[in-house]
This record gives sequence, C-alpha cells and structure tokens, in this order.
Amino acid sequence: MLEIKELGVSQPGTDAKEIIIAVSPAFGTGLKQSITDVPLEEILKELCAGIEEEGMNYRFIKVYNSTDLGIIASQGSKLAGSGICVAMQSRGTTVIHQKDMVPLDNLELFPQSPLIELDMYRTIGKNTAKYGKGENPEPVEILNDYMVPSKFLIKSTLMHFKEGGMANRDMAPIDLEVTF
Amino acid sequence: MRQYIAGVDIGNATTETALGLIEEGQLIKCVSGINATTGIKGTNDNIKGIIKSLKDAAKKMEIEIEEIDLIRINEATPVIGDFAMETITETIITESTLIGHNPDTPGGLGLGIGETIKIEDLDKAEKDKAYIVVVPAEVDFIDAAKMINEALDNDIDIEGAILKKDDGVLVNNRINKVIPILDEVAAIDRVPIGMPCAVEVSQPGSCIEFLSNPYGIATVFGLTASETKQIVHIAKALIGNRSAVVIKTPEGEVKERRIPAGEIIIDSGKRKYTAPVDRGSREIMETVRKAKNIEDVTGTKGTNVGGMLEKVRKEMADLTEQDYNNVFIKDIMAVDTIVPKEVRGNLANEFAMEKAVGIAAMVKTEKLHMQRLADAVSAELGVKVEIGGVEGSMAVRGALTTPGTEKPLLVVDIGAGSTDACLLDRENKSRPVHLAGAGNMVTMLINAELGLDDFKLAEEIKKYPLAKVESLYHIRHEDGTAQFFEEAIDSKMFARTVVLKPTGWKPVRTKQNLEKIRAVRREAKEKVLITNIIRALEKVSRTGNITEFEHVVLVGGSSLDFELGNMVTDALTYYGIISGKANVRETEGPRNAVATGLLLSYLEEAGNGN
Repeated sequence: MLEIKELGVSQPGTDAKEIIIAVSPAFGTGLKQSITDVPLEEILKELCAGIEEEGMNYRFIKVYNSTDLGIIASQGSKLAGSGICVAMQSRGTTVIHQKDMVPLDNLELFPQSPLIELDMYRTIGKNTAKYGKGENPEPVEILNDYMVPSKFLIKSTLMHFKEGGMANRDMAPIDLEVTF
Repeated sequence: MRQYIAGVDIGNATTETALGLIEEGQLIKCVSGINATTGIKGTNDNIKGIIKSLKDAAKKMEIEIEEIDLIRINEATPVIGDFAMETITETIITESTLIGHNPDTPGGLGLGIGETIKIEDLDKAEKDKAYIVVVPAEVDFIDAAKMINEALDNDIDIEGAILKKDDGVLVNNRINKVIPILDEVAAIDRVPIGMPCAVEVSQPGSCIEFLSNPYGIATVFGLTASETKQIVHIAKALIGNRSAVVIKTPEGEVKERRIPAGEIIIDSGKRKYTAPVDRGSREIMETVRKAKNIEDVTGTKGTNVGGMLEKVRKEMADLTEQDYNNVFIKDIMAVDTIVPKEVRGNLANEFAMEKAVGIAAMVKTEKLHMQRLADAVSAELGVKVEIGGVEGSMAVRGALTTPGTEKPLLVVDIGAGSTDACLLDRENKSRPVHLAGAGNMVTMLINAELGLDDFKLAEEIKKYPLAKVESLYHIRHEDGTAQFFEEAIDSKMFARTVVLKPTGWKPVRTKQNLEKIRAVRREAKEKVLITNIIRALEKVSRTGNITEFEHVVLVGGSSLDFELGNMVTDALTYYGIISGKANVRETEGPRNAVATGLLLSYLEEAGNGN
C-alpha cells in the first residue's frame, strides 16, 4: 500500500548525496496507478532501489503549482542537495533534471509512459544517482511506439484532468513522507 | 620577364598549391591555395580539386588561372598502408569457477569464506558450517534481506552472498551483519552449490588484497603447492578489482590459451625470415630489423594477417593497374596492445584484457599515372603542366624554408596509411624512406584498447583534446584547468567526457574515465608514430647511429595534431636532435611543403641555366 503524508513546505537541501523525487499533484492521492495500471508503489520501489544501490539518498516532494513535468522537475532540482531531481507524473512519465537547466531542458526524458517497464524505472533511478555523483552514465534506452499516443490519448487526458483538478497555483512544493 | 609558376601537391587528403610570381629569376611574391583532394590520388578525378586549389591561390595573387605560365605537379610515390589486429591470447574458464567479477556497486565489506547454498535452502542449513548465500533473480531484495536476517537470528553463520540482480547495496542496507555481497552475476544458475567459496569486497577506491594473491587463494582453500600453481591465472585476473569471488570446483580451472595466429614470412632477397605472430610485436620487429632489406612479405593463409597482407596487395594492384603478382609489400610494423574480450565460459559477463598484435603493412610501386593526370590538367586549362619532382625531395626543399633549419634535414610526413620520410644531406642528395604504420593504426589501437567499436569516434579522440563537463557552466580540461562559460552548455553534454572538436563537442560513450582515454591515446601515438620516426632515422642513417642527425621537421596535415609536435620534440631531444613542426615560408606552418618545394626547385633549375 502506498501512503503519503504531507510534512510541510520544502526547503533547499544541503546534503550533497540528496536526490529529489518530485511528483505531480494527484500522485498517490487522486491517482494510485500508472497509465498501464501498475501500482505507483511498485514504480517508486524500483526508482528508490536504483538510487539507493548507487549509494545516494532521496527525498520526496510534491509540486502543486503545476502539472507540467518540466516545471515540476525544475522546482525539484533546485531543492535537491545534489542539484539532481527525478520527476514523475502519476501516469508514469519521467524526467531527470539538473538545477542549472531551463525548465523544459533535461538530462534524460522518458515521454511515452505506457512503454516504461518496471526494470527501466530501476535503471532510471540508478542513472539519476549517477548524475548526482558526477558520473557519466549510459542513458537509458528510450522505447518509441508511434501508436502509443493515439491508443492512450483518452486515458492520459482524463488522468491529466485529475492532476489539474488537484493542482493549486499558490502552493509551494511540500515535503512528503512516503511509505510503501 | 614576369612568370607565374604554380607548384601543386596532390596529397591523399588535400591538394595544395604554391603560386609564385617570378621576375628575372627572383621569387617576388608567393601565395598558397588549398582544397580537398577529389577522388583517389593519381586518378583523373583529381582535376576538380586541382583547379579549385589553383583558383584559391590565383585569387590571392589577383590573376586568372589562364595567366599561369607553368604548373608543376609532384611525382607521387604510390604508397598505401593497411592494418589488421590479431588477438593472441584467450582466457577460458572451465566448469563454473566464477572469477574476476567486478560489478559497479557491490555491497558490504570484507572477506567471506563458506559453502555455497541457495537462499531458499537456508532453513536446512547446519549450524556449525559457514555459508555463502546464492540469490536468484526471482527473490526480491527485501525478501532476500528478510531471509538472511532470519537465518542470522537462528545462529546460521552467513559469511557472504552472491546475487543475480544489481541489489548488493540494497541487501547490505537491510541486513544485521556486514558481509561481502557480490551482485550482477548473470548466470547465477550455473554457480555450483555446496562448494567451497570465497567472496571479497573492498572499500570504494581500493582493490581486493586477498583473492588477487595466489597464496591468499591457497590459504582459503587449503591448496597444495602444485594446486597453487594452477590458480595463478585466477589471481592474476582479479588484480585491480574492487570485488571478487572464487569457487572451488573439483575440475574447475582458468586457463590462458595462446591462439595460433600464423606466421609472417619476410623475404629479404637473400633469404627468408619467419616470425610467429603470437609471439608478439617484439619478435616481429626484431625479424624486420634482421632482414634489413625487405623484398616482400607474406602471411599464413587463413589468418587475419595473411588476409590483410593480400588485401593491401590487391588494392595497390587495382590502383596502379598492375599485375597482382608484381606488387610487393615493402615494410611491416607490429605493435603490442591489449583488448577487452569476454571470457569464454564466464558466469557474469567477465572481461579479460587479452594480448593482441596490431600489424600494419605498406606497399610501394614504381609509378602512379601522374603523366596521364598532367596531360589531362593541361588539356583542361590550356596551361603547360609538367612533373616537378619526387614528393619526398620536394617536401624537404619546402621544409627548408622553415626558419632555423639547415641541411642535413629529415622531413617526416605522417599520413593515414604510411609514414614517409626523406633526408636531404649536405650534398643536396635526398634519400626517401616509406614505413608502414601511421595515423590509421593509431586510430585502430585507440578503438581496440578502449573497446569503442566506433572507428569515427576513435579518430576524433586521436585528433582532439578531451574535457569533462562538470556543470552546465564549466568544463575541466584534460590538463586539469577549469573553463567557465556565460551561456549554458548543451544539456546532452552534462557529466560527459567530451572530445573538444573545433566544430562542436562530442560526448564519448564509454565507461572509461578521461585519464584512461588520454593515456591510451598518448600511448598509441608513442607506440606507432614516435617509434616510426626513430625507425625512419635509423633507416636513412649511414652509420646506424641516429645521433648524427640534427634537424627533424614534421610536415603534412597530421603534424597539425595538437600534441604530436611536442611529443616528438620531447622524444628526440634525448638523442640531441632538434625537432618540431615545420613553418613553411615562415607563414604556412606544416602545410604546403611539397607545393613550395615544387616552386623552389623550378627556380633552382632555372638558376642552373635550365
């Protein structure tokens, strides 16, 4: 089971080992499964395992003032002690971001969420941690299927509405305690 | 009398022009032109490049091409080179002796010795025995940690673990005892169960000490002296690893096998010399030295070397429209190298650094069809075209315009396929030598030693300096200096080792760090290029003592290499030889030497009343 507790407004981290995992407004509350019905705790478990295996720490935050993955990641990376953030929307779309980058830029982007398998999330976690350590990881191979956008259009639109419904323009990012 | 004379040098890569205005036998003004060579050197395809190169120069002189009185092209020595690589050792693991595995992130710390046991059989474990737990992929890290903790609570002595998935740190963080944990063992189902096993993991940044020592392994498994002799290769394979595991199976062993790689047969005219390739480069080069004069070289049929030698021969035969049987290989060069190769019979995709020999060959024939080309250019432009002189001696004449040089002078032109040198002695006599092994061989070595499998990338690593992108606003150069930028660097470069190409940076996709890439690059240049310059000196020397020379000048495009000039200066200072890049006509740098030589030799001939 995925349990999410909000702790309070996030402050910039000082630990150089710290990776931020930033999630979208409805993550774990309004939406508990990804676009392919994978429970979000399973995705988080792999992502966190990847970061931990590389010897880095992580902190969860939730960004309420946007549903845009780039904006979420940008805010997350500025709060991370290492300057590296992995951001995720509830449907599973993921991006790795560095604090000096403009919001829509990225280190690695995984746009077609239905194609991301669980073991890929593990590798994404590992790569995120490696960027945090200043290493030079081989980018995760991105899968591409031109049928995916049309096939999942309706579902992803509905999920996006849900995210939008729970967004709040005036709220600062919140620290989360996540148990799974 | 005003005359416009052009010297045109058709090289493998560029066509260079030196256009001079001559009045009363005196050179008044001289300009240069350059264009890429079109087509293969010596064929009529070259005309386009020649005209463009001439136009470039004529524009600077502010004349039309038609006003040129005479064009002199060089007598190219047709030399082509090629190379091949032959791996001469291979490491084979028989049975399931797991060795040398070196995952990025092993867990825990220390040395653990025990009997291998499957994690699901831990409940059947005996209390007075030590165990190494083997965990397959189906068991999740949380469950694995739980099962190990339960066993530990039941006083089962667990000394280490071997995992299939990359979970070493994760398991280590969740268990109540610090044990060495090795992960990413792909063929875990082939790990023998119930066998004595040792696992060692050392601190980050340090290497294992126990299992890389033959006596350490002997201590662990209680081996006799003769058994210890057999495991030397295991210990050797583990040197430098952060983690390792050794399992003792009744029949298991690790062998280093020599692969028969054929022989090279050198015909010196008087007698034939043979050198076995698998004995390494030293023996081959020693044979080349013994043979002195090389008439032809052949290799054992069916080997890489044999195939390569025949390929070069055929290429040259096609190019010069000669009979295949009349083309002879005039020089070979061998270099030792090490290449990463997957270990046969491995359990975890282990790689061993195997010995290999890189071999370059050079063929030379009498003449390319330069006269034909000269006639074609003449017909095209309506200008008189003549063949000026041999490439090498022209290059020396051009190089002599470098301030600070004097005769005797050796010029070295390092091309892609061959290294060409020419000596001009005090009596104005020139002695050319052509050697196998040049730029392409350096690229091959870089490609192989770094395991890149990308010739183009290796070529770029060879040519340009490296840097590490440390943040979006600064990079650290290979010499350690930091450079900052106002504008953000492309995010695709972040954290990467990049090649600083003048046209844009290129990330290097390899696990090797910058220092390693740099070391490989410099070593390859040293092994091929510096060795060849010294070989050239030995060949043209009458006494065999290379300290008799005073000046060695580098010409040609490859001397534009960012570090080669300094490396040569460094190496030759040892012999008391002054060396460096040419600076033709005080303005051209190492380029345009042959073209300038063609122009100057016309002046000399005219001065002699010709």
